[in-house]
Formats: sequence, structure tokens, C-alpha cells
Amino acid sequence: MEFSPDTPWQKVLDSVRRWARINSPWAIHYNSGSCNGCDIEILATLTPRYDLERFGVKLQGSPRHADILICTGPVTRQSRERLLRIYEQMPDPKFVVAVGSCGLSGGAFRGCYNIVGDISEVVPVDVFIPGCPPRPEAIIFGVVKLLESLKKGKAEVAAFSEGVHA
Amino acid sequence: MDSEGLIQTAVELLAPWTLKVNRPEENRVDVFVAPDHLKDAVKAIVRAQWGYFSALTGLDQPPAEEGATEGTIEALYHFCRGPVVLSIRTSVPYSNPVIESICDVIPSATLYERELMEMFGVVIPGTPSTDRLLLADDWPEGVYPLRKSFTGFGEQKLEEADGNAA
Amino acid sequence: METQRKFIVPIGPQHPALKEPGHFQFTVDGEIVTDASVRLGYVHRGIEKGAESRNWTQNLYLFERICGICSHVHATALAIGVERLAGVQAPPRAQAIRILMAELERIHSHLLWLGVAAHEGGFDTLFMYSWRDREIVMDLLESLSGNRVNYSVNLIGGVKFDVEDKHRDAILRGLDTLEERTRHYLNVVTTDRTFLARTRGVGTMSREQAELFGTVGPTARASGVARDVRVDAPYEAYTQFPVNLVTDERGDLMARFVVRTKELFESYRLIREILDHLPAGELTVRVPRKIPAGETVSRVEAPRGELFYFIKSNGGEKPERIKVRTPSLCNWASVMQVAVGHKLADMPMILSGIDPCFSCNDRMVLIDRGSSAQVWSWDELRRYGIEYYKKL
Repeated sequence: MEFSPDTPWQKVLDSVRRWARINSPWAIHYNSGSCNGCDIEILATLTPRYDLERFGVKLQGSPRHADILICTGPVTRQSRERLLRIYEQMPDPKFVVAVGSCGLSGGAFRGCYNIVGDISEVVPVDVFIPGCPPRPEAIIFGVVKLLESLKKGKAEVAAFSEGVHA
Repeated sequence: MDSEGLIQTAVELLAPWTLKVNRPEENRVDVFVAPDHLKDAVKAIVRAQWGYFSALTGLDQPPAEEGATEGTIEALYHFCRGPVVLSIRTSVPYSNPVIESICDVIPSATLYERELMEMFGVVIPGTPSTDRLLLADDWPEGVYPLRKSFTGFGEQKLEEADGNAA
Repeated sequence: METQRKFIVPIGPQHPALKEPGHFQFTVDGEIVTDASVRLGYVHRGIEKGAESRNWTQNLYLFERICGICSHVHATALAIGVERLAGVQAPPRAQAIRILMAELERIHSHLLWLGVAAHEGGFDTLFMYSWRDREIVMDLLESLSGNRVNYSVNLIGGVKFDVEDKHRDAILRGLDTLEERTRHYLNVVTTDRTFLARTRGVGTMSREQAELFGTVGPTARASGVARDVRVDAPYEAYTQFPVNLVTDERGDLMARFVVRTKELFESYRLIREILDHLPAGELTVRVPRKIPAGETVSRVEAPRGELFYFIKSNGGEKPERIKVRTPSLCNWASVMQVAVGHKLADMPMILSGIDPCFSCNDRMVLIDRGSSAQVWSWDELRRYGIEYYKKL
């Protein structure tokens, strides 16, 4: 996908890229029972064509070092406990991105006996990226949106702390 | 050997235990046996190397409205050879849903037997593992999701459902 | 085996009694696996039950989402079965389009697997290259169907869209590029020394074992078992466009790589032939909303092997029962048997070798050493294998 330098999209990418170089968020990916469609598209964002890592987002394995939890799937009964545990192990401030229709409402599986559906019934969700699955560009857009609010979030926390200790 | 020949061979192999034979489609033959003879029938097919064990389907036949007949579970053991599908079928009543394991004849059948047990409540003596395969560890005992009587946990959240399972 | 203490166990305390719902449990004696078992269930959604409260058309959308990698074959298996119960067949052009999409799906799936399996062994460059090339197929799938994943090709009675000349040209161009790239991959999997060290003679399954364990798909064919539903029981337009079986006699992990890579060439050939001889005509045939009562078995060849559907109608708008047996279920049984006697370090590659249709990156592994048990993440097991072979 080619971007011309002056599109609004490109401006967004530039500002985020600047920010991300200073604060590199680490993300962890969790599949709560999805069909893998979303997971494959998330994995695709790491490949050269989309390259999520140029925004400084690093996908790694440990919840203890993660700022962002990228979660797919409609939360099956067996995976629910695990999801909670991962969320609890993440340090504050932490953010959750729900990728795919399943994590929004259960998607095609709404009503099936072994799923919760909406991920925010299990952990708080900051960004929902709808789609079945959402394309890599949409996933990146959603994550970028989150990074902007993450930046705001950290600035607010910092300002508050300064106020307290002043 | 052509399809008709294959089907005739299978029918002959299973003759000693056959209750009924159906030809639902050109490439399919259904042979009905009593649960006590299921293992013998499977052994005959395997010894003759007639085909490979492909799938195990469970069918719930709930009790008739009037309550005159008891509910039964039918198990279909599907064997494939070329285009031909042989289904060895046996029925067990809810009150005694016992089918002997075929795992000493076909070791890989353990996964299929685990699924049949947890989904339909069939009891399979001699099966090497009774661990849950698909259902969660905390799934309530005695609840068999693929029986028609199970209608889900309703609007309740999954964790509240245990005391109110169907 | 004190050396693996260097790995951090990220989840919970180490405790012999801790029954973390691990996907896999390996009992090891020293470095050797003495017992292996698998526990599925993380992706169990209750689809077969859900099918009973959806009508036949809604179920096409549901079953397509059993797996995001091989979604089209699921919908195709369902559509074919329902059409059979209704006593109809999709028109020839629709049948050809169905298998055209199926072969494109096989290509994307095999390339995906190639990258993922390479990643499991630490060959990240191969992962990046194969996934970059895979984007060619993703673009083709999208231009034909409108979506990269879940193409929703099928209707009960036919297909939703046509293949036009512009598609044909784009596909042929894409295939030319892919074919050249695939020649390179075949070269890597057959000659690269570090790759061969992890695959040649590893995870060997004899033909007898493959037959006994009920293995299907490329995993079976890599052990010399000539089993492929497109050949054994040709369905849809495979009767018009026959498939040449790809098998290998060695039965080891390398053979599984070789078979899938060679199958790519066969898919390229098939697609070219289908495009050259696409039958003219309608795309759909009328099918009633209520499907006549009856039972049918529908078998198709997914990228991972035989997909088995048992479909029962009671004459209504909703199915009485749909039973799905995915190829991976067959192959799990075989890989669990094969794992015994192998090194723990070989587990990631052996497990990936069957192209398992779940890619929860979060698979947990329970390593049981008798006196103690540890829970590892899949990533740790993967890194363990890579480190082990680096030291050799």
C-alpha cells in the first residue's frame, strides 16, 4: 500500500512515529478462542508489507512487560481464566485492544454455549477494532489510535504526579 | 476394486453382527449392530484393512413426546476407502449408554471417544483417557451439550451457570 | 537438566500439582519425551450446537469461521452436502470457481504454514519472505471475493461471484511470481544445512504408523500414504481437473516440508488449467429453503487433509445435526504417538509439522519430569529448541 507524503493518514503516522521512538510500547497478543483469522492478520502486520514495528510497537511474550494487550476471539470458557490472569499480571497503565467482531459481540458465534462474546465483559477494553477479520491496515489504525490516547494518558499521569509532589 | 465391490466386501465382513443394512447414497453403506458387537465389527474391518477410521459421529434421539420410549444416543463409526464411506452404527439407551472402547484396535480413536463421552454422555469402558477434550475443566458434570435437552446457559454469565445447568 | 532454569516461567508458580490448563503435556526423562498428550478446548465455541439454531444459509457463514485459514473448504463441504440432500448440483462454472478458490486457499495456507513452521525453528527470514509472497495470494483472493479472509464464496446452490478476464490475468501473473519464489523455497528446505539439521530424520512416521494412526493430508502423504480426497473421491470440478498426488517416502519432518512445497506447484498448475478451461454458464441453481430429510457425508480435501462432514436434515429450514471432523483432529493423534522417543527440543517443529489448525500463540506446555513439573509458554519451548540446536 503506497502512501503519498501529505495525506492525513501519513501525518498521523509521522506524529505517532515520532512519539513511539521515545515511548516504545510493548504489546502481548492473546487468542481467547478465535478462528485464527484475526490472529493471522495481526501476524501479517509484523511482516514487511505492513510492518507494525516501525511504530515502535514490539510484540513480545510476557504480560509483565506489556503495555498493551491485543486480544482476539469470543472468550471461550476454557480461555477466560487465562485472559484474566494475563490482564492481572500486566503493570499499570495498561490498555486492551479487542480485534475482530468476536471480541465485540461474539461475532458469528453469538449465542453459542461456550463463549462469553464481548471481551469487555471479562477485561476492560480501550479500543475495539471491528471486522471479520479486520484488515492489517485497520488493525494498525486501531493500535495507532490507542497509542495516541496512551500518550495522553501518560502525560496526564505525569502531570498529576508532579502536582502531588510539587 | 470398484465402489460396489468395496461395499459388498464390507457388508460380508460385518455379516455375523449385522442387524440391518442401509444404502443411503450410492457411495455409502450403513451397517447397524448391537453395542455389544461394535468392537467385533470394528476389529473385522481393521483386520481386513478395508479402510481407515475417519470420524465418530454422535446423534441424540431424545425420548418421544408421549414418554413411551426412552431416549437413545446413536454412535456412527465412519470408515473410508476411496469414495466409499462405511458407517457402523449402534444405539444405546440413556439409562445404559455403554459402548466398549475400540482403542486397543485403533489407538488414535481416543480423541474421538473423549469427544463422544463429554458431548453425549456415552460411557466407554476401556478408553485410555477420560480427560476432557473440548469442554472446559470446570464444565459441570452430567451436562452433555450435544443432547437436545441442553439449551445453553441462557442469558446468565458462564460462571453463574454451574448451579443451573440443564 | 538444570540448564533450563534460565527460562523464566511467566505464568504462575512452579508447582507439581499445578494443573494449568496446558495445551500439551510432555513427560520427559532427561531430554527424551516419554509421554505426550494434547488438550484442546481453548477454541471450542459450541458451533455444532449453534448450527441447530441457525438456518442452512446462516450456517454457511458460521461454519466458514471454524477456521480462518481454511474457511472456504468448510463452507464448500457444507454447501455440497446440503445440495446433495436437496438433490441438486451446483452448475459446472460454479463448481470450477469453488475449486479455483480452494486451490488459492491451499496456496495461502501452505505459504502461511511454511513461514510459521520456519519461525518455530528459528528461521525468521524464511518466515518474512514466505509471508511477503503470501500477500500476492491474499491480494488475488481479495480482488475476487472482496475479503482477504472468509471469502464467502459459496451459496447453497452455487457461488456468489464470477471470475472475469481481469482476474484471470492478475492470477496468472501472480502465479508466475509465486512459482519462481517457490522454487527457491524448495531449494532451501532440501539443501539448507541448518534447516536439514532440524528436519531430516526427525519426527519420522512410517507408512504403517501413518495408516494405523488415521493420519490424513500432507502429513500422511509425507509418509508415503497415497491419501487425498480430491483423488480418492473427486468432488465438484476435480472430476474435470484431476489432481496429481504428491507423496514422499521418507516420512520425516523434511518430507512434510517437501510435500507441502511441491503441492504448491501442483496448485499453480491446477489453477492455470481451470482458468484455461473455465466452463461457461450459470453461477447458481435454485434450492428450496427447506432441505429434504436425510443424511449425507461430505468429504473435501482441506490444506491440512480430509475434512469430514456428517449432515442430517429433518426436512426443515434448520439442520438436525452437523458433525465436523477437522483434519487436525486426526493428525493430533498421530503426532502425539510420534513425539514419544524424541527430544524435547524437537517438539515445536514436530508439532508444527502437521500444520495444526490452531495458532493460539499462547499455547501452554506442561513439562512433567516425574519429580517436578514446569509450565512453559509455547515461545519458551520454541526458543529451547532453537538454543539446543545452536549448541550442536
